[in-house]
Amino acid sequence: MERSFAAEIELLKLGEGEVFHGEGILAVTKALLQSGVSYVGGYQGAPVSHLLDVMVQAKDDMAALGVHVEACTNEASAAAMLGASIMYPVRGAVTWKSIVGTNVAADALSNLASPGVKGGALIIVGEDYGEGASVIQERTHAYALKSTLWLMDPRPNLPTIVRCVEKAFELSEASNTPVIMELRIRACHVQGSFVAKNNVAPAISTRNRLAEPAPHNYETLAHPPVTYGQEKKKYDQRMPAARKFILEAGLNERFDGRHGDVGIIVQGGITNSLIRAMQEIGLADAEGRPDIPMLVLNVVNPLVPEEITGFAAGKRAIIVMEEGQPEYLEHEIGSILRRADLNTRLHGKDMLPMAGEYTSEVMLAGLAKFLKAEVPALSNLGDGGYAEEIADLRARAVALLGGHAPPRPPTFCTGCPERPFFSALKLATKETGMVHVSADIGCHAFGTFAPFSFGNSILGYGMSLASSAGVTSFSGRRPIAIMGDGGFWHNGLLSGVTSRLLNKSDGVLVVMKNGYTSATGTQDLVSSPAAGAKLAAAEKSATASERTIENTLAGIGVKWLKTVHTYRVSEMKAALQDAITSPEKGLKVIVAEGECQLERQRRIRPLRAAALEKGERVVRTRYGVDDETCTGDHSCIRLSGCPTLTVKTSTDPLKTDPVAHVTNGCVGCGLCGENAHAATLCPSFYRAEIISNPGPFERLMGRLRGWFTGIKQVAA
Amino acid sequence: MSASASSGTISILIAALGGEGGGVLMNWIVDCAIAAGMPVQSTSVPGVAQRTGSTSYYIEIGEKGGIAPVFALVPMAGRVDVVIASELAEAGRMLERGFVSPNRTTLITGTARVLTTAEKMQMADGRFPSERILEAGAALAKRFLPLDFEGITRQAGTVVSAPMFGALAGAGVFPWSREACEAMLVNGRGAKASLAGFAAAYAAVGGEAKAAPLVAPPPDVRTLGRDRCRDYMDQAYADLFEARIARLSRAAGDLADPLRAHALEEATRRLALWMTYEDIPRVADLKTRPERFTRIAREAEMREGQLLKVADLFKPGVEELAAMLPVRWGEWLMTHHRKGGQVPFLGKGMHLGSTTIVGHLALKFLARMGRLRRRSLRFRDEQAAIEQWLGAMEKALPAAPAYAGALAELPRLLKGYGETQARGLANYKAIFSTLVTPILACDVEDADAPALRKAIGAALADPDGVALSATLAPPSAQPMVAE
Repeated sequence: MERSFAAEIELLKLGEGEVFHGEGILAVTKALLQSGVSYVGGYQGAPVSHLLDVMVQAKDDMAALGVHVEACTNEASAAAMLGASIMYPVRGAVTWKSIVGTNVAADALSNLASPGVKGGALIIVGEDYGEGASVIQERTHAYALKSTLWLMDPRPNLPTIVRCVEKAFELSEASNTPVIMELRIRACHVQGSFVAKNNVAPAISTRNRLAEPAPHNYETLAHPPVTYGQEKKKYDQRMPAARKFILEAGLNERFDGRHGDVGIIVQGGITNSLIRAMQEIGLADAEGRPDIPMLVLNVVNPLVPEEITGFAAGKRAIIVMEEGQPEYLEHEIGSILRRADLNTRLHGKDMLPMAGEYTSEVMLAGLAKFLKAEVPALSNLGDGGYAEEIADLRARAVALLGGHAPPRPPTFCTGCPERPFFSALKLATKETGMVHVSADIGCHAFGTFAPFSFGNSILGYGMSLASSAGVTSFSGRRPIAIMGDGGFWHNGLLSGVTSRLLNKSDGVLVVMKNGYTSATGTQDLVSSPAAGAKLAAAEKSATASERTIENTLAGIGVKWLKTVHTYRVSEMKAALQDAITSPEKGLKVIVAEGECQLERQRRIRPLRAAALEKGERVVRTRYGVDDETCTGDHSCIRLSGCPTLTVKTSTDPLKTDPVAHVTNGCVGCGLCGENAHAATLCPSFYRAEIISNPGPFERLMGRLRGWFTGIKQVAA
Repeated sequence: MSASASSGTISILIAALGGEGGGVLMNWIVDCAIAAGMPVQSTSVPGVAQRTGSTSYYIEIGEKGGIAPVFALVPMAGRVDVVIASELAEAGRMLERGFVSPNRTTLITGTARVLTTAEKMQMADGRFPSERILEAGAALAKRFLPLDFEGITRQAGTVVSAPMFGALAGAGVFPWSREACEAMLVNGRGAKASLAGFAAAYAAVGGEAKAAPLVAPPPDVRTLGRDRCRDYMDQAYADLFEARIARLSRAAGDLADPLRAHALEEATRRLALWMTYEDIPRVADLKTRPERFTRIAREAEMREGQLLKVADLFKPGVEELAAMLPVRWGEWLMTHHRKGGQVPFLGKGMHLGSTTIVGHLALKFLARMGRLRRRSLRFRDEQAAIEQWLGAMEKALPAAPAYAGALAELPRLLKGYGETQARGLANYKAIFSTLVTPILACDVEDADAPALRKAIGAALADPDGVALSATLAPPSAQPMVAE
């Protein structure tokens, strides 16, 4: 990865009493070091990537502290790493994006939870749920319940988050159970402050190694017959210990309010939004002190029955504010109340939406219903006012706009090497007829958006080939599966390729070899180009000479294997047509090679700046469209979707349709030229080379040409 | 009406596109607040590397020495003090979501559009009308400050975050000084450009919006068309254009009827574009004009001392060559081609250096071939089709002006090159034979206009002809694929 986290690394070194100011996920990272972790691992994914990115770049500082940092190849590998804390008194933390990562990690989590841990084990998951999220389904909560893991959902301000991380290790050790901390996307990106403490060097570490392994103890294996005993222990010993710790440490927060006959139980993570909603109708003051009593659950599993009954006792009704479905907390609170024979009425999902993000607005609407039903004195408080005002505002906006603003999903970057592949696929399927396309997770999933709109299913990271096994068996035209090199190493090689080879089945796989897990921030892979290769490639694609993927495929027996540079659109089109129509049976793999342009541009920019500084010849290439010859059909855009290939009002007053236009953001990737040729588009495209510091011969030729053709070579 | 945040708290919502530096702007504001000793919190919803989708950043700033406020992570509709959008449609999105309230919100927005893929990829004009967003902003914001961020950014040679910062400071929304803002920029990368962009936006947002420079209204369509035909061929061709327009004018009769006037104007426009269809000589001619290279150099923002090389991307097909050849040669070539005969050089992509001497000469030679156009295969075909359409127009104009208006628009389908052109022509012919010829055979009525308009819209709806086939004929069942 070329991006530098130097400033963030400095934050990790702050000492006692110094003020940390930065992002939530970095505060978590700092809290891990303050807690004396021995090892940290994880798999990247928004919104927790930075935790690992910063630690990986700070490897030297971590080594000085004795902390081991591991960039795991998937979440299962990260979860399994926590196995170190089963028999050794070492603290460890891992991170990934949930729910997807937790699904992948499930097997290891289950077998970690059974024997339990001696050293504190913490799993930090990005609960990517709601606005701006890429995975908006399912809750991590289910895993905490099924595997008997503790789950924290801290109030999203930095001091609370940091305290919860530190307490999470203590909780884990006090109850021999791994703890998950869920942080929503905005909590990970929140910028705030807390007063730092010194980092703690772990007692057992890369600097202080153990002389001997732990003695064999069958109790630490998740293997029968001891698993039966472990199952008993979960609820007989660990749960009571955890509840005791939660109460004693005061992890959950209780606020009293004037209207003591009702109350709200809320997940810590959505508390601030709730307070904002209460402020709106005058139920909380400027400092956030509520008029209605609140129990804020920074720990959402396990619940402490005494705490719940203590809060609910004497109240006519309570409402549970719980984001996501189903309502695990509400069900459990209901059981607790019933067992204690408390007649406090219980509300929650009867007044709030089952699915979707709980914003202030959503919670305000739910709160209004609660007040109406349960608090006669306040029953008009939530009436109309806000909800009507906003509904009216939105209706007026839509009426004035005359419709909805055009949607703007993310797309391939300018110069992205994956865009040309989809151009080629569009052209190829025009010849072969449309094929079933199994899509995957990664930047290439943008190929599912306009103008390409390819993809019939997405079954998970690296799952595309596996997901096309059934489809291939009954399709008249051979389907294709697309995955990135990230997905290939995460899962695709085993669940897709080897399975297909084992069954000697037919199929087409395209591996997008861009060299990194680009969608998560260009983290390195086992097949990322080495530093030397990047240096040698300079402005060219550094992935061309990296053959780990091809060698692996050949090694396990793939016979039909072609590597094609994505910018050779005609060649790629031919390869795809061949793969789709070839009479040869068996797995056919096209490695679509082209280095991630983010990494390439980060390498090129300083190279060019230095060359210009030294007065060396530098060529900038950009493409353009001739306004006069463009007829405004936009076929070129339907084959590209590049952000810099856009339309503008024609300078020709006779033409009513806008013409294609290339903005100066063009990086001269060459796709426009390739498409113009591969698709026989139109003669409006040109390639312009702007040469800085031309040599004497070139200048002479320039003058000669100018004289001969009447073309001025230099802008005025 | 109650304040959502604690009194004295300022909430700012930044709407931007990925990769525009919205996060940088957010950090500047946060750092200013910290330097001023104010409690502050910010958050965002960007992905890690998704560069081009909509993103938003939200900041709350408390009072210095005031109580410790509870900051929210999510902006609340109707309760945001300042919304700033780098781009106009993003401002539209914020309006639509109810973040701009007439009671409290200052809305600052860039006036330029970065078009979305969905808008750009349409076969005709899919652009969302900017003026509607501007009107909605003016109507719904307490203070509405539209600003040419794109122009300011380009002039200062910076990224849009610096002008956005300057606009916020200039609008007086920060509880700290201009100098405090500028202090954030002086040590950054490209400090000089950032400060220039900041200053320009600071000044622009305070001052009156500059009136758009007066552009002389374009000459009328008829004059444009006549001149275009002369430029395309010669005076005789311009005269032919005039004669054809005279025929249509006679047929239209009284132009007091706005429907007739519109139909005639649209027909004039389409006739001009049709008569000057783009063939190889025309393209070569346009590509060798000196002003073209001046424009390219300007668009590429070339500087003194730099050299420009231009290569044109051609891939001429057999059809295009046959089109410019005299009728008999053209017909022979097409027959030869249909029989599978090979033609050297054709169908291969080439980069023709139009700034090189040889390349330029080659293009000039091709341009000169335009002199043979009157005898060419395509000229014959196009003129025949034009005459057929003109005849239909002459019938429709007096009887059914609304239908004539739609018929006038039909040649809009004829555009592009190669496959695109073939597709447009096929669509044109399909519509003409289904919705024009049979109607002309009996009495033309305005009641037939909607169907024709619908068909034109359908032809422009998708490149695969799905919508058009559905419009012209009932759909047929999808067959199963046999192994």
